[in-house]
Amino acid sequence: MDRYADMEDKLRILEDLNMMYIRQIALSLQDSDIQKKIDHEIRMRDGACKLLAACTQRDQALEASKSLLTCNTRIMAYMSELQRMKEAQVMQRVARRSSEAGPTDDRRPCKGKVAISDLRIPLMWKDTEYFKNKGELHRCAVFCLLQMGGEIHDTDMVMVDRTLTDICFDNTIVFNEASPGFDLRVELYSCSSEEDYSAGSTPRKLASKLSSSLGRSAGKKLRAAVDPGAGSPTGGGATLLLPVPAVAGPKYHLLAHTSLSLAHVQDNFRTHDLITSGNEECTYWVPLYGSVCCRLAAQPDCMNQQMMSGCLKVKQLGGDPQSSTNVYGVLKGTNLSCYHRQEDIESNVEPAFTIAINKETRIRASEKDPDSNVQSISISNLYGGEEVTHTVSADSRQETHRWMEAFWQHFYDMSQWKQCCDDLMKIDLPSPRKAALVTSKQGSLYHEMVIDTAGDIGTVTDILTRRMQELELRSQLGTSPPWMSLFAESPGRQRSPRLAGHSPRTPRRLPRSPLSPSRCPRPSLLSSDASLTSDSDSPCSTSPCSRHGGLAEPLSLPSSRFRPRTLSLDAKLSTLRGRGYGGALQCSCQPPTSSLTPIPAQRVSQATLSCSSSTSSNSSSEGRRSPESLDSSPFSRPSSARRSLRSMRAKLDPRNWLQSQV
Amino acid sequence: MSFIPGQPVTAVVQRIEIRKLRQGEHLILGFSIGGGIDQDPGQNPFSEDKSDKGIYVTRVTPGGPAEVAGLMMGDKVMQVNGWDMTMVTHDQARKRLTKKNEDVVRLLVTRKSLEQAVRHSMM
Repeated sequence: MDRYADMEDKLRILEDLNMMYIRQIALSLQDSDIQKKIDHEIRMRDGACKLLAACTQRDQALEASKSLLTCNTRIMAYMSELQRMKEAQVMQRVARRSSEAGPTDDRRPCKGKVAISDLRIPLMWKDTEYFKNKGELHRCAVFCLLQMGGEIHDTDMVMVDRTLTDICFDNTIVFNEASPGFDLRVELYSCSSEEDYSAGSTPRKLASKLSSSLGRSAGKKLRAAVDPGAGSPTGGGATLLLPVPAVAGPKYHLLAHTSLSLAHVQDNFRTHDLITSGNEECTYWVPLYGSVCCRLAAQPDCMNQQMMSGCLKVKQLGGDPQSSTNVYGVLKGTNLSCYHRQEDIESNVEPAFTIAINKETRIRASEKDPDSNVQSISISNLYGGEEVTHTVSADSRQETHRWMEAFWQHFYDMSQWKQCCDDLMKIDLPSPRKAALVTSKQGSLYHEMVIDTAGDIGTVTDILTRRMQELELRSQLGTSPPWMSLFAESPGRQRSPRLAGHSPRTPRRLPRSPLSPSRCPRPSLLSSDASLTSDSDSPCSTSPCSRHGGLAEPLSLPSSRFRPRTLSLDAKLSTLRGRGYGGALQCSCQPPTSSLTPIPAQRVSQATLSCSSSTSSNSSSEGRRSPESLDSSPFSRPSSARRSLRSMRAKLDPRNWLQSQV
Repeated sequence: MSFIPGQPVTAVVQRIEIRKLRQGEHLILGFSIGGGIDQDPGQNPFSEDKSDKGIYVTRVTPGGPAEVAGLMMGDKVMQVNGWDMTMVTHDQARKRLTKKNEDVVRLLVTRKSLEQAVRHSMM
């Protein structure tokens, strides 16, 4: 035991020394920015280590381990950047001493924002595992680390087991200072969530860590991250710069990685190949299909920022030769927008005219105007086969020179950023959302068939109903939306028979105990808005029809049970079909009812869509069996399973052609 | 837009980006879809090929986010945010459009008029 404790101490001393070394470099560079960042990361790392040692829950341990890995990676990135800066400083001093080379005016392309979002990694389970659910459920925790230059971001952690078909990361990650030659490294880390992380096996763990922590993954990263280009004085010691702290806990391993660059940027979703490491024998193995799908967008600064602005005189060749307009020109994106006045930009007035500045534009400095002795710039574009040239001149020679510079720089930027300059790509910043939302575990395909009661359709119906209420007043003025006509029509349909006297039939919107066939109070019905109850919530008002009288008996059975609105909804729709509305539920006024999602019982304002009893009779005649066996429980809402079963049945009925409102 | 099993599907598509409209707690897009591999394709009034089990836009709410973005009734939805929609069940399609954590959906849609436009421009 002593030896191991000894080694632990030594490791800690090494770490402290390394930290001091790093801090020294940072100090010597007098770059407080990096120093602050490193300090911050070191503190985060300490916090993560402590948390890891202290926590008992597996989830917490996984999260803490993930933060630890991210902190380590960031520290290494900062360190390598420090190394580079130190080298650059040294080289500069050497260069200054040896030669007096003038400043090489290397044109540098503008920076830009690069955003990666909607990361999705498909999985490839063996069918025996996936469908037959054989074996124990082996779960892994995975997350992605995205690195560009010195910026490192991690995605949220996702638990993966064989009920998932794809690993989806919902985060949108934006890198702000990207150059066109960027290299975005995407790394997928995984960790089995079944290992025993107890601290009892510390010595073994320590030994394995010493052998493996600087071995494959960490060693590779160290070498890659701290890989100095030119000979660095500290190159030899770099590999030991940051040993992984000996903390017991879950450890993530690199499962796959890939590198994305400008060529992969597109305003659309693309699939890229992943390079996987590890094999089936590893504990952290997850069967990847081998590709990753994502949206990689880039916004170069030249596309969304003003690159140059100033007063200009613009003359169009071929137009009135003497007329030149005084404008305030703004070079941004693929246009030179010319406003009448500078104030117009703030007040969002449209520019007087716009000259295209894109890859096909040709710009030349033209001869000095003999009158004013100022050079002017001519801009030629091809508009649909015709060449249009504008002559632009600034107030003074310096101004003209600045404009030429700006144009050259702009062309250079466009040549460097290539396809990103064709059009401005949109980058959506994720809207701040309440963190309390707990995402339910993704189920298998079969689980997804169950519809939950707070279904989208129900809520959309709500929205429509509310809108309808507002518009109800307007409809009197004759300006009703097209779907209003459904509700207007319904009285006609509703006149179809109701066995009003048959009291058990009436509370079809309310759950009832089968043992109490007497009328139960329906407060919710009465409270419904009058505007919507065209089909009336007072079923007694309608006259029983003799048409379906014969079906009273079969009805009494079902009627003694709870009739959720959905069943009557199906039935109504089947009535529509029965009346020759065609198989497709294509009312021109399309209520979102066709998907037949259960509507919560208390939302009586949707009563318009609940239907008459005759429809239920139709439903039974059409073979839609009421699930008598299910409604044994009294009182309030039926379980969602029952309702979803009914609606599922409706959905699975091949005679329907479902339509859903989204 | 006919589909031969085993052959890759090619179509002229238009990209449509719809920003969902927030109504209280819900995000709505303002259109209805029909179709799916679990639905009867013969009842689809918009498809040219009556064995096409793809997802079609059956209705567009006037003034809604979908109409503003340029979606038209009768469009066939090929992709939503990178997810394929040519071989999905109706419910899967609905789910992919109504994810609660997405504010924007980017669709790839195809319609007859697009193909014709391309053909004319090539002549």
